[in-house]
Amino acid sequence: MTPLRRWLAPSHPVQLLLGLTLWSLWFVLLYAGLSVACELAPPSPGQGALTGINAWLAVLTLAILALLGWLAWRGLAVGRASVGRPRFIALVGAGLHLYSAAGVAFVGLPLVALPPCL
Amino acid sequence: MSESMRPTPEAEHLHQELSAVWGNSPGWRGRLSVVNHSTLGLRFMFTGLVFFLLGGVLAMLIRTQLALPDQAFMSPEIYAQVTTMHGTVMMFLFAIPMLEGLAIYLIPKMIGARDLACPRLTAFGYWCYLFGGIILFASLLLEMAPDSGWFMYTPLSSSEYAPGPGSDFWLLGITFVEISALSAGVELTVSILRTRAPGMALHRMPLFAWYILAMALMIVVGFPPLILGSVLLELERAAGMPFFTVAGGGDPILWQHLFWLFGHPEVYIIFLPAAGIVSTLIPVFAGRPIVGYGWVVAAIVITGFISFGLWVHHMFTVGIPQLAQAFFSAASMLVAVPTAIQVFVWLATLWLGRPRMTLPMLWVTGFLVIFVCGGLTGVMLALVPFNWQVHDTHFVVAHLHYVLVGGMFFPLLAGAYYWLPLVTGRMPSEPLGRLGFWLTFLGFNLTFLIMHWTGLLGMPRRVYTYDSAMGWDLYNLISSIGGFMMAAGIAAVLVDLVLHGRYGRRAPPNPWGADTLEWSLAMPPASYNFASLPRVESRHPLWESPSLGEEIARGEHARPGAAHGRRELFGSEALTGRVRQVIHLPGNSLLPLYAALCLAVVCVSLLTRLYPLALLGLAGAGVLLLRWSWENGGHSRAAPLRHDEPEDPPLHSRTADGPGRWTMGVALLADGAFFLSLLFGWFYLWTVSPEWQMPARSPLSLPLLLASGAALTLGSLWLERRVAALRRGREVGLTLALGGIAALGGLHVALLVLVLMVAGLSPTATAHDATLLVGLAYLLAHGGLATVLAALQAWRAGLGLVGARLPFEPGVVALLWRYQVGVYWILVAAIALLPRLTGAGP
Amino acid sequence: MGGVPLSEGRGGRRVNPGPPRRARLEGAGGALAVALTMGLAGCSGSHSILAPAGPAARDVAWLWWGMLIGFGLVFLAVVGLWLAAFRPRDRAEPGPGQERRLGLGWILGGGILLPGVSILVLLAFGVPTGQRLLPLPLPGGEAPRVIEVTGHQWWWEVRYPDEAGEVVTANHLVMPAGEPVDFHVIGADVIHAFWVPRLGGKIDMIPGRINRIRLEADAPGVFGAQCAEYCGVQHAHMQLHLEAVPPEDFEAWLAARRGPPPAPADEHALARDTFTEQCASCHRVAGLSQGDVGPDLTDIGARATLGAGTLAMEKGAIARWLAEHQRLKPGNRMPAHDHLAPEALEALGAWLETLRP
Repeated sequence: MTPLRRWLAPSHPVQLLLGLTLWSLWFVLLYAGLSVACELAPPSPGQGALTGINAWLAVLTLAILALLGWLAWRGLAVGRASVGRPRFIALVGAGLHLYSAAGVAFVGLPLVALPPCL
Repeated sequence: MSESMRPTPEAEHLHQELSAVWGNSPGWRGRLSVVNHSTLGLRFMFTGLVFFLLGGVLAMLIRTQLALPDQAFMSPEIYAQVTTMHGTVMMFLFAIPMLEGLAIYLIPKMIGARDLACPRLTAFGYWCYLFGGIILFASLLLEMAPDSGWFMYTPLSSSEYAPGPGSDFWLLGITFVEISALSAGVELTVSILRTRAPGMALHRMPLFAWYILAMALMIVVGFPPLILGSVLLELERAAGMPFFTVAGGGDPILWQHLFWLFGHPEVYIIFLPAAGIVSTLIPVFAGRPIVGYGWVVAAIVITGFISFGLWVHHMFTVGIPQLAQAFFSAASMLVAVPTAIQVFVWLATLWLGRPRMTLPMLWVTGFLVIFVCGGLTGVMLALVPFNWQVHDTHFVVAHLHYVLVGGMFFPLLAGAYYWLPLVTGRMPSEPLGRLGFWLTFLGFNLTFLIMHWTGLLGMPRRVYTYDSAMGWDLYNLISSIGGFMMAAGIAAVLVDLVLHGRYGRRAPPNPWGADTLEWSLAMPPASYNFASLPRVESRHPLWESPSLGEEIARGEHARPGAAHGRRELFGSEALTGRVRQVIHLPGNSLLPLYAALCLAVVCVSLLTRLYPLALLGLAGAGVLLLRWSWENGGHSRAAPLRHDEPEDPPLHSRTADGPGRWTMGVALLADGAFFLSLLFGWFYLWTVSPEWQMPARSPLSLPLLLASGAALTLGSLWLERRVAALRRGREVGLTLALGGIAALGGLHVALLVLVLMVAGLSPTATAHDATLLVGLAYLLAHGGLATVLAALQAWRAGLGLVGARLPFEPGVVALLWRYQVGVYWILVAAIALLPRLTGAGP
Repeated sequence: MGGVPLSEGRGGRRVNPGPPRRARLEGAGGALAVALTMGLAGCSGSHSILAPAGPAARDVAWLWWGMLIGFGLVFLAVVGLWLAAFRPRDRAEPGPGQERRLGLGWILGGGILLPGVSILVLLAFGVPTGQRLLPLPLPGGEAPRVIEVTGHQWWWEVRYPDEAGEVVTANHLVMPAGEPVDFHVIGADVIHAFWVPRLGGKIDMIPGRINRIRLEADAPGVFGAQCAEYCGVQHAHMQLHLEAVPPEDFEAWLAARRGPPPAPADEHALARDTFTEQCASCHRVAGLSQGDVGPDLTDIGARATLGAGTLAMEKGAIARWLAEHQRLKPGNRMPAHDHLAPEALEALGAWLETLRP
């Protein structure tokens, strides 16, 4: 197996870091994207939360959410079928993916309520 | 030493043999050349205690000044220095080094190792901490201490508004101390991952080791942003490069980002090991395994990550868009979840066990009460509108003391009372210990619970006086009385600690009935910890086999003794704990002390603006560190090739994957965090700085940059090929090849110097040029180091210290080359290509 | 106030039956109750967040009381559960399966559900509250009045931009009550923060960029304001006297300051000469000097305090300030005036006190 495929297996310890790494990358993209978009093309404050910036960031959020959800489901399925160390890693990994998904959903929530650049 | 632990002549013989190899040398010279983790861990903690007491005296000065309105106890200038130094000393000279010291002392004992993986690095870290701390604290005695608040916001800390040397003391001293923290972070990571007892797979590791692993990795990633910030601010102060000055295209808010990128994770760097103490003590005193080990591991990982996404909540009032604030606000609340998981894991463990309210548990209980309160006000502060009101008031002061004193100091004392018998072999006194606890606990709450209220009544932090008409008098007086009560409590604890060493009752083996390996050792432990190295197949080795300690002392486990004269421990696989090699460690050495002394010379000469001397010191440190790396592997002072070498498992320098490779990897992780901070600074200034000036044409010559990068990339590829060949046992022409690689490195550096000369930057005029200069200097430093190391490898290959039987070192150097290739092209794209593509920029 | 409720809190705990050690451990819980009791007693005060006088501060005060009660209950529950676990209890050893379920129940209930629900509720309240504080366009489409405030080490420059002519003053801010006002703030030297606790949250005053905050006072009144970002040795003495007045009074106040400066009276001619020689390069007095290093003194006689809240303005206060300002506010940027005769300072003070529109 190539290292990459080995890393992506649900029982590899990298799974303990993958979910929250995705969360972090998404978080950085969210903050950087918002800052740069507000610098380049700030929408008028009257538009409220219904702007292109909010929409794009929401799409990004949903995509990450789907990916994390799938990873969590996979880890849970594999973990339940294993024993010992692989079970430990897969289940803790699944929990971390689940938490990351919840984190993405929770942090993304203000996107539907707040105007982007004020 | 407890006699019952070494009953037999064989055990006594083993002890003699191991002590001869592992012991510290006698005399003054011996004391200075110590590399042993137990000795150095205790030194870290003792030095931390001294700084804690000094910081505590400063706190008492503050409370005296604020006890009554309109006091003239201290002048405003002195008050500013005292508050700044109180925060700085407690955070940088007490909290972090103290916990590092605890980890350095305990981790090898808990994971079944004889020492940490990089003993000389432990010593180097200690000396850097000691010298940095002394330099920093000396500023207060010279009455020229930093006075801009412990987070040193620019422009208040820059040369125009802080012309004295105070800020320089802070920036240089703290950076010095941070080198120490980084060394500890790197080696703790490597030790936990690579030197665990045979069979101790990741999921059997003591929880404390998980916590320390997270802390170490967070130090590795979290400290570099502040180091970068300090370097940039010192460059601004000393050389006039306007990174944080609006007029030159800089931005004072960049400092706040860099500071809090470090500063928030720092809170969790302090909290996690303390929570690790709690998670270690609770199962012992509840008499049952922790409920939900996996949940705790998940909570640790979550805390480690999320805490890097909260830094802006210290900056809610700087005028960042509300939506961005909402992201950080939500992320700040998210971190409550892993904390709550841990609290309820502890609760469940207590409820499902039979807890005993011993002295250590009393401190844990104090921790819980205070920390839960601080955590809850923390969630309040995460709420943006509320934060706008109480930010920078005494409410925040109260909150942060609840979190830090509750979250770190109380568990630390719980741990101190718990591990004291291990360190001294004696039990502390119950009545005095309880008196100390209650005075500290009640005094603390008296001081800081009221202080929330003072803050809500509008008292800002860092005021040296206040008017009686404000209505804050009574609350401040109560806080001051409470502060002195807490000081009395700490004094009682200190008296207890001192007295117990002399009059304490002899501790029986494993006095608390604990489950982890450190309690299988002699009390106090011998320099080598384990006479033989046990196999660990359980999370609770001592509960499974209570006689483990005697078996270890009698040499019934693996690799007993040290007849070969080497300091040896097992190198195990990170995941499974399977033994892969025998790691041979260096012995006592003065090199770490000398290298740290050179850095102290650099620090002092930068303070006194003797730049040539600083350069000399830097060169000296470089030479000493290279000499240090020279005494490795097959060197006569390390582990020269012999015929009777162990084959299964082999010595690590005879394989391709010793701990040094991991040390390099983790060090590069820290380096990468530094680099990313620099990249962040570049893009931040470019997009956000109010008066950023992007020249119409990039001053950097693209052809030269491409040529330099080509030389570097070629060299790296060549090195990778030779490393792969070496693993297959081919060493023909190695010296020549390594020499060629070094020559390519030299070409890379030379071309880069040419780029710099052609560019004609004026770094004191614009932040743009200053940032380019720092970026190029970063590449030059790394390119230079990679070149020198490759050349030294060629030399070592010529001397027979690198070759088919000693294939280890080139693989370590190859990692640095690979890293340099990566950062080189990223930086070239960011500073030379992207500006060309976007024109003069937005 | 604090002493009395504190002893009440102790007395209240004595009612609880139980071993003394437990009672002492609950001290922190009792102390929280003390904070509650004090809450009812000590909310007032010129800088109190809990005595809101405007919509923004009121929202936050409500948030605080709500969070205090909710989190107070969480705190008591957690500490209570902790202490209860140490009680000796007799119970059958649970089997491994049952134990697993119990443990999972604790973790899911307390570790996930409790904080999860709490932070969702908090965000649901917090985001709309934050949104109400944003400087959004007003429903009618008209822009609120703008007042520009600049932070200096260690005083406040206040400007009223207006087509009819700009009005400048220092350390004394007058605003119309009952209507939203947008404050545009900036730092002249280091970072300061503009904060009127009874009206609402603070905003940093940063060199190089203008920050905006919208505040409103419900009714006329005098409110304390304070620099809330550490800005150097005299951070403590960087206070702003803020007065909200009925809108028509506000217009009158502005108009009085737009008019030509009053004709100089002959009795102060000497003091005016001293001023021109000694003070004019730093201070502005309309019609006399253009200095812009220190505060504008055109209407100094009408201000409530001196030295940004260091001294109350009363007869003779300016002369005292001139003689002793480095003792009253050590380190402030105005040089000492030791080389001037005390009589000259008194005359100068007497004249400056007449500068009121």
